[in-house]
Amino acid sequence: MSFKAFETDDFVVSADSVTAGLWTGNQPILTTFITSSTQVASSNGNYYYNVYNSSSLTDIQFAITYGNINGSGSQNYDDAVNGKSPSSTIWGQYRTLVLGDENSNFSFGGTTGSDIWAISIDRNRYKESLLPGSTTLVLENGANYLYLTDNSLAVTTVEFTDAGRVFQLVSGSAGVIDTTNANGYSATKGSYGWFLPDISTYILNPQALNETISLNPARNSAISNTDDNNATLYDAIVDGGSFTANSQETITSDFIFVRPRSSEFNYSENPSFISGSTGEVIYSDFINNPQVYITTVGLYNDNSELLAVAKLSKPLLKDFTKEALVRVKLDF
Amino acid sequence: MGYLNNSVVTVDAILTTRGRQLLAQNDGSFRITQFALADDEIDYTLYNPTHPSGSAYYGQALQNMPLLEAFPDETQIMKYKLTTLPRGTAKMPILDVGYTNIVIKQGASLAITPQTLNYLGGNQSETSGYTATISDIRTMSTFEGVGINTADATALNSATTTLGTNVSATVVGTTINLRATTVNTLFGSNTSLNATLVITGRDSGARIQVPITVTKVS
Repeated sequence: MSFKAFETDDFVVSADSVTAGLWTGNQPILTTFITSSTQVASSNGNYYYNVYNSSSLTDIQFAITYGNINGSGSQNYDDAVNGKSPSSTIWGQYRTLVLGDENSNFSFGGTTGSDIWAISIDRNRYKESLLPGSTTLVLENGANYLYLTDNSLAVTTVEFTDAGRVFQLVSGSAGVIDTTNANGYSATKGSYGWFLPDISTYILNPQALNETISLNPARNSAISNTDDNNATLYDAIVDGGSFTANSQETITSDFIFVRPRSSEFNYSENPSFISGSTGEVIYSDFINNPQVYITTVGLYNDNSELLAVAKLSKPLLKDFTKEALVRVKLDF
Repeated sequence: MGYLNNSVVTVDAILTTRGRQLLAQNDGSFRITQFALADDEIDYTLYNPTHPSGSAYYGQALQNMPLLEAFPDETQIMKYKLTTLPRGTAKMPILDVGYTNIVIKQGASLAITPQTLNYLGGNQSETSGYTATISDIRTMSTFEGVGINTADATALNSATTTLGTNVSATVVGTTINLRATTVNTLFGSNTSLNATLVITGRDSGARIQVPITVTKVS
């Protein structure tokens, strides 16, 4: 027989977390931030800016956007209808996505406001989610600067929104909180925002940023392009010069244990194992003491169809005095 | 394709083309239930039972050889299976299908009834039958196995074929019936089509590969 049936305890399912740098090339730190003048000048530039890692504009790294509950900070769609503008659209979009309830408001460490900045990581950069505790975002405005991270390493109870886990953005680096103010929050305006790892989004609290580094969005509806609130945050990120984060992915693996016993799989149908056309084994020693070398493990279904295959890194000697145990990993 | 790093034991499996196809069908046919071992790439003529340094060195030329990574084409891997036979076996089972290569005209039929030589004390048809895999099912309008009526063989022989796609097909039987395609468009400007037929004894593990040429009639 050349096939052997698996037993129930030959299968083990495992889920392992794999982390990597977030940015292009699995780099954990992004230091160059470029926008496309074409995208910024286009109609969707009224909603968001795409940020690239090089002037070749090949790989989008993240998008910056601004939302305001009153539609302030961007021009109304129609002069006759006040309060309906790209910023109110963005506000509604993130409120629906994160809070799910049109009557809810973002509460940043107890402080609510009327507007947000959001940083949304491009889908191609992360595998499944962002890794909590890995973020360091530096914002700089004039002589003021701020290091932001999330408080995931400090909290004992994780909070959830409609968009999954939520952590507060606080002053600090790589998950380590700067406790100049309590909890790493701003002095009186709560936390600096929310970190939503499951939708790979950061939501920033403009009130706290204004209090700490005087980074303040324009909040009028007759705003000109030079006052674009997306550009305001973009400039602060460029001046800060460093955005560090990791991605995270859970890989589910099947571990399958292949157990050829001592009396099994000791002869080979390899043509070089056979001498001549009548099937004699190549060496007389092989009649009672065959030596074969396992190189390949094939996994089959009941119909003997080859579904998956694994190669050993080097041949494994098998004879009547040896048993083998090979662990095969199959990722999905 | 590259060489595997042989400084550590690595056994990451990849899905074969057929495995991906069955996984995509999502009908429960992708269910690993058994395994086989093979010694593809091993050349036993390199084994040296007269090595002057003794028996510890007989397999010197084989045991540290670097191995190639796995191929996803199920017809190109697991070619030479290891098999379980009684100790003292002097002759290995080998298959005889009556052909070393098959040339068949477009639309013509052929029945192949393999025999296993040197198996269980003689030459015989194996009780569990034979697995036959054709590398490109498009070349055949009929490709079926008959003579084995177990549930798994019936399921395999009635499996849906992915039409128009260059994929392999596998059937089980004691006799394999072929009928070459009548479709002219498959030939294009060529006068023949080529494929390979791999037949494996389900009990013995003996294997034979036969090239098939389908010649265009008109």
